[in-house]
Amino acid sequence: MGELIRLEGIVKSFDDTMVLNGINLSVRENQFVTLLGPSGCGKTTTLRIIAGFEKPDEGRVYFDGKDITDMPANERPVNTVFQNYALFPHMNVGENIAFSLRVRNKSEDEIRERVKAALKLVNLKGFEKRRIDQLSGGQQQRIAMARAIVNEPRVLLLDEPLGALDLKLRQEMEYELVRLKNELGITFIYITHDQEEALTMSDKVVVMNEGYIQQEGSPQEIYDEPVNAFVADFIGDSNILSGQMVDEKIVKIDGVEYPCIDGTEEGFPPRRRVDVVIRPEDIDIVPYGKGLWNGTIISKLFIGVHYEMLVQSEHGKVEWLLQNYDQHDVGEKIGMYVDPENIQIMQKPKSDAESAIEIDI
Amino acid sequence: MKKTLGRIYILIIMLFLYLPILTLIVLSFNEAKSMSVWTGFSLHWYAELFQSRLMMGAIVNTFSIAILAALIATIVGTMAVLGMAAMRPRTENVLLGINNIPMLNADIVTGIALMLFFLMVGAPRGYTTVLFSHTVFCIPYVILSVRPRMNKNTNRLFEAALDLGASERYAFRKIVLPELWPGITSGFLLSFTMSVDDFIITYFTRGAGINTISTLIYSEVKIGIRPSLFALSTIIFITALLVLIIVNIRQDRHNKHNMAEVY
Repeated sequence: MGELIRLEGIVKSFDDTMVLNGINLSVRENQFVTLLGPSGCGKTTTLRIIAGFEKPDEGRVYFDGKDITDMPANERPVNTVFQNYALFPHMNVGENIAFSLRVRNKSEDEIRERVKAALKLVNLKGFEKRRIDQLSGGQQQRIAMARAIVNEPRVLLLDEPLGALDLKLRQEMEYELVRLKNELGITFIYITHDQEEALTMSDKVVVMNEGYIQQEGSPQEIYDEPVNAFVADFIGDSNILSGQMVDEKIVKIDGVEYPCIDGTEEGFPPRRRVDVVIRPEDIDIVPYGKGLWNGTIISKLFIGVHYEMLVQSEHGKVEWLLQNYDQHDVGEKIGMYVDPENIQIMQKPKSDAESAIEIDI
Repeated sequence: MKKTLGRIYILIIMLFLYLPILTLIVLSFNEAKSMSVWTGFSLHWYAELFQSRLMMGAIVNTFSIAILAALIATIVGTMAVLGMAAMRPRTENVLLGINNIPMLNADIVTGIALMLFFLMVGAPRGYTTVLFSHTVFCIPYVILSVRPRMNKNTNRLFEAALDLGASERYAFRKIVLPELWPGITSGFLLSFTMSVDDFIITYFTRGAGINTISTLIYSEVKIGIRPSLFALSTIIFITALLVLIIVNIRQDRHNKHNMAEVY
């Protein structure tokens, strides 16, 4: 699988606001890549630059090795599923899907066949004659998909396509999207601010913030080894604690010295101030005094499968977030233990520019 | 009791609104020239209307000016909306504000201003100056009715069309124009009505010898109105009524059709 799309040093500003601060990104053929970030992080602008709706101020866009930076949107071999679907309201379902085929002057017979096939692919057989305003949100979403894929683009761009659907439908559509991608065998570039969607569907997640790519990697890598506090905080619940390396492979967290697996070689020499991420599900509850940290449970919530507890530690007066299958009462004194494998040590960001992680292609 | 009172109330309002028009219609069929005595049924005044070159001229002027002015104003206004949509929001808001001024302005001020303008540039006043004036005062109404159709969503649909491979021209014709169409037609109809209705601006910008229905009636008032004008008014009223009924029936059918499709 070769590289299909490459962004090189993309810079974009609107009026005086910097939106993208030098984005480098590589998307391989047949990959499901998700751009993940809070609103205003530049993910939509990145997508619009790939689609050809925006021109970057600096940098180039390559498609299959060819520079397409100046190619107009209607000539690019990519299609988009828009956030609010952007279905044409004065056309019925069939005419909507047929649009890109009519533009290319396909024969009516071929159009009929391909519209039918596209509808079958999104599980809406026989919907040709329906009007757009007769469809539910989920159906409109599927029609938008069908319209975008009927012309067999090599890349499908999806701009928060599930944003307007309710939770249950959203989870259903996540499976659908992955199935569609596998059936079509094309590249998906997906945009969302929902970390769960990103982790569930993607081959590669690109976490963005303030116009910088913070980290990119497989969902597993992003979750287990966030490179900074922003990524850790954005992907799932986490305890982000301030710490300091006190000795080679010894980090002081919440007043307690702790042997960790990172040292000078990994970029954490003694006396360096660091951020430490501990996932709430990685904290074991042990009897009081038997753990590394001691604390008192100050609140407890039952969340379906597990309990979520806040623990006030006795050492540095830090509040810890814990997730545990066992029930403990508020007021109970407990000990806490974390396996060294489950502690992720990160560099403290010094400034905006330094917090951006340059990724080599 | 309450119901009867309500009905009487409605009846009074209806009479108040339509009795004058009814009187006019009845008088248009009166044999005599009198405005108060009924002497018998006759189509005499209708015959006179169609034979009078003065009146037929005024009718032709009124409607040809209305259609042409509405057409030109609709094209210019729609193009203005398209141009404005591409501007920065602040610039566009300033322009929209300026666009509102002529509508709020008193007709008499607009009329006199246009007259002075034509005098200044030395344009001989006649059919063309009236047409020009009508076009000018209709444009703001077109902009006002087309502008709301041109929104973020229209832009998104345009982008979607481009994304699917359409050229800008094709996307405009197939996607943007149908989106704007309801605004364009209502802008056209509004302009047409405003033009037919107008008296003051026409009065100041027309030259000698050219009349529209309203200026003709005004000049006739001074020498005594002939019942053939009642006949003309009756025809206009009946035509408007018929158009209204047809539009309503079609709307009704359309709605029912849609309902039937949903259920």
